[in-house]
Amino acid sequence: MFLQIWLLPFALLATATVIAFPLSRYMAWIMDGKYRPLPVMGWFEKRLDSGPQNWKQYIGSLLLFNTVLFVFGYLVLALQPYLPLNPDGKTMLFPSTIFNSVISFMTNTNLQHYSGDQHLSNFSQIFFAIANMFLSAAIGLCALVAIIRALRSDASLGNFFLDMWRVLIYMFVPAALVFALIFLWQGSPMTFKTSHQVSTLEAGAMGTTDKGEAKQQTIVVGPVAALESIKMLGTNGGGFYGMNSAHPFENPTGLSNFFNTLAMMIFPFALVIMYGRMLGRMRHAYVIFIVMLALMAATVVWSVYFDTLKPNPGLTTHAGRTFEIAGAKSSEPKKPLTYPAVAGLPVDQHLGNLEGKEMRFGTSAGATFDALTTDVTCGAVNAEEDSINPMASLAPMAGMWINSIFGGKGVGMINMLLYVIIGIFIAGMMVGRTPEYLGKKIEAREIKLAAVALLVHPFMILAPVALFAVTHWGVDAVSNPGAHGFSQILYQFSSASANNGSAFDGLGVTYGFYNNPNPAPSAIAFDIATGLVMLFSRFLPIIAPVAMAAYLGAKKTNPAGLGTLRDDDVTFGLFLIGTILIIGALLFLPAAALGPIAEHFGPFPFGG
Amino acid sequence: MFRYLSKSVLLLVVSVAICCILYPIVLWAVGQALFPFQANGSMLSGPDGRPVGSKLIAQPFTKDEYFQPRPSAASYDASASGSSSLAASNYALRDRVARTLGPVVQYKSGPQAGQSVAPDIETWFRKDTYQGAPHIVAQWADMHNSLAQAWVASDAAHTTYVRGWAKAHPKDVQQFRKDNPAATQPKESDLAVTFFKSFSAEHPGKFPSVVTSTGKDGKPQSTIEVVNAGQDIQSTFFDMWRQDHADADIQDVPADMVTTSASGLDPHISLQNAEFQLDRVSAKWAADLKRDPAGVRSEIEQILQKNAAAPWNGVAGEPFVNVLEVNLELRTKYGEPK
Repeated sequence: MFLQIWLLPFALLATATVIAFPLSRYMAWIMDGKYRPLPVMGWFEKRLDSGPQNWKQYIGSLLLFNTVLFVFGYLVLALQPYLPLNPDGKTMLFPSTIFNSVISFMTNTNLQHYSGDQHLSNFSQIFFAIANMFLSAAIGLCALVAIIRALRSDASLGNFFLDMWRVLIYMFVPAALVFALIFLWQGSPMTFKTSHQVSTLEAGAMGTTDKGEAKQQTIVVGPVAALESIKMLGTNGGGFYGMNSAHPFENPTGLSNFFNTLAMMIFPFALVIMYGRMLGRMRHAYVIFIVMLALMAATVVWSVYFDTLKPNPGLTTHAGRTFEIAGAKSSEPKKPLTYPAVAGLPVDQHLGNLEGKEMRFGTSAGATFDALTTDVTCGAVNAEEDSINPMASLAPMAGMWINSIFGGKGVGMINMLLYVIIGIFIAGMMVGRTPEYLGKKIEAREIKLAAVALLVHPFMILAPVALFAVTHWGVDAVSNPGAHGFSQILYQFSSASANNGSAFDGLGVTYGFYNNPNPAPSAIAFDIATGLVMLFSRFLPIIAPVAMAAYLGAKKTNPAGLGTLRDDDVTFGLFLIGTILIIGALLFLPAAALGPIAEHFGPFPFGG
Repeated sequence: MFRYLSKSVLLLVVSVAICCILYPIVLWAVGQALFPFQANGSMLSGPDGRPVGSKLIAQPFTKDEYFQPRPSAASYDASASGSSSLAASNYALRDRVARTLGPVVQYKSGPQAGQSVAPDIETWFRKDTYQGAPHIVAQWADMHNSLAQAWVASDAAHTTYVRGWAKAHPKDVQQFRKDNPAATQPKESDLAVTFFKSFSAEHPGKFPSVVTSTGKDGKPQSTIEVVNAGQDIQSTFFDMWRQDHADADIQDVPADMVTTSASGLDPHISLQNAEFQLDRVSAKWAADLKRDPAGVRSEIEQILQKNAAAPWNGVAGEPFVNVLEVNLELRTKYGEPK
């Protein structure tokens, strides 16, 4: 039992770590342009390369390309009824949902206010979803590479278009092909057909139609394997099907689940080591890597402990309790409130909480995936997040709040760089030394940029959560009573701001097709609000750090001396963890207390 | 600026050509050539050679001769996967689980060991006392307003029945309007709690239950009958019975039998769950085939063992069986269930 639970998560961490070393060497080699392209490839590179860029030109190109991508994505979705590969005649999604989805995929979030199996044609799955999955992941990686070049005081930040080409052609496409073949072999469909109609083995088990005939089962298929591999490798997370990596076609076996989970980890892991290689500061990168790995292991252990080793508390025995409720004024006497004892239901829960879990992945696979998917900002799920045990749901939430436990493609490392800068600044202030990073003085302008980039995230989560929690927008959307309803709103905006994309699925945010007579009442409000949150939380934390790195890189390097704070030893590692937990996580503690922690302390069951 | 725009468009065109045309077509060709079964959805053929479903997608089974898959929040609709999204703290989750348990659970020890709990639930229900107070149905509706309302709205026959009750009980409806001035035009479901209280007083120890029969036009027809036994009572009131009998020692049911999966299409059940269903399945086949129950049981047990697999050969999880494959084997071996 011990092995059945802990082998999978630690095998994943170990495998991703081992792969990170050779992969990071290859990535640094490609991004530094040391390879020699084949003649055909070289021809394309020459066409795309617009010459060396400074930071403003690089960011300008990045934003311009995103604008083009936005227009393209919007057109593909809006024109869905007129485009090919749509034999079922799927119509157009509601415009606010298109707005939300296009931003969501462009920003590498993949928050889905629609269900792929119900609302998208195969054309949209390929030309909208797959296209954005390749490109949005590459954009974040390019931003990190630009920052590295700025920090090492290169003559230019490189060329955005050439960088994008390199990432796509030499990293994502080959890796996606390999993983897609594994998923295909394990059972993911790869066809341009849309569905099979079958008569079930027991005729009529699906019910009967009005004419008294046995209903058939409609099985949606499509180019699932192609989407699945880049969905995970690019830490995108937007499923072909509504239920994402929990769907048997996206994730058919225990083995496919291992590779599914591994796929989202390898690039974020390798990027940290690549950062060290390209800067020539391997020890520094190792310290950061170990800090991230420790935090990741902590979230996984937390999630598995509360979700796999504990039963679903909704079904178990609870002792009766009496609470004292304080009055509105201190002069009012406290009122007692009694909850009677609850007898447990006869359910054998030795495998943990199985509500919203699949059987084939393995005992701890759901809880492990829950934590990892937000640590690396992927957002795919192989279990229903809404149904995990209350305390366990803190693990995915913390992953999104910290947003740099490896984090998304490139941006996770960028966020970590901000913590490093802020941490060094605080340490410098505490001991009375001039804070320096890589021998460059950190001054007011850099700190302002770092602080802006870091504070966007909590602001973009907490402000809209507060707004939605007190208005009918949020109240009408929640599907579970009490503290969990608050958690649903909190999770939605955390996921949007972290560019994660997983969700507590019960939240009513789906409008559906534009002519849907019964959309969720708050769908438009959530479409627009989360759309804007994703946009700001994506680009401000890319623009500000690139600017900051450019300013830092332009300064002269002071040689390290006795008075220099080391950035590659245990002290620095501990200090970094402290900075992350105090600055990154503590901001969210009050919100956590109102949501998952309150739910954990009961009473169970609540409401109904 | 214009230069960057043209480069952006070029980059988009090139990447769409590679990622959206070349990449999927290569995979499609490789998939159809090397893994045609998987690439087309792992479809299984039935005894008559026609496809009966996908190996990877759960489909429902209602007959006792077949093993049943996990309950599905998506009603086994493989074009709209979905989970229950019920939080652990939500009473709706506990209620759904309790309803599944009531008709199937058995005593574990004591004089009734091995016997079904269901008849005792009915006896207790007819006495119409919960936690020492009278009228179980009234207390149920009072404790769980949303369940009572859901009952009214869940079935057209239920709604019609409540409408009929409202006509016959104008005083109760008037009182409801007085107590709820905001509800000027109360719907049937708004009246649910008032209805059940009045019903419980008029029919102590009874519950309105739908009976389906074939009407004159040949179409199925649903009517309400007032009953004091049956599956509705066993399932709806099992949780309340449990609270009154907290000390009763009941055999645990495997969790995957009463929990919904994430996709609603989980094709597997745990081997433990299958073993739990084995008695029912084998007894039914034995009756159908007029054969010795023990012999049929051991044959089916062998089928289960043969089909059992586990994540990473058991290193990462416990054994499970594919429900459709096992049932297909039963169907091929024993023919059409009676």
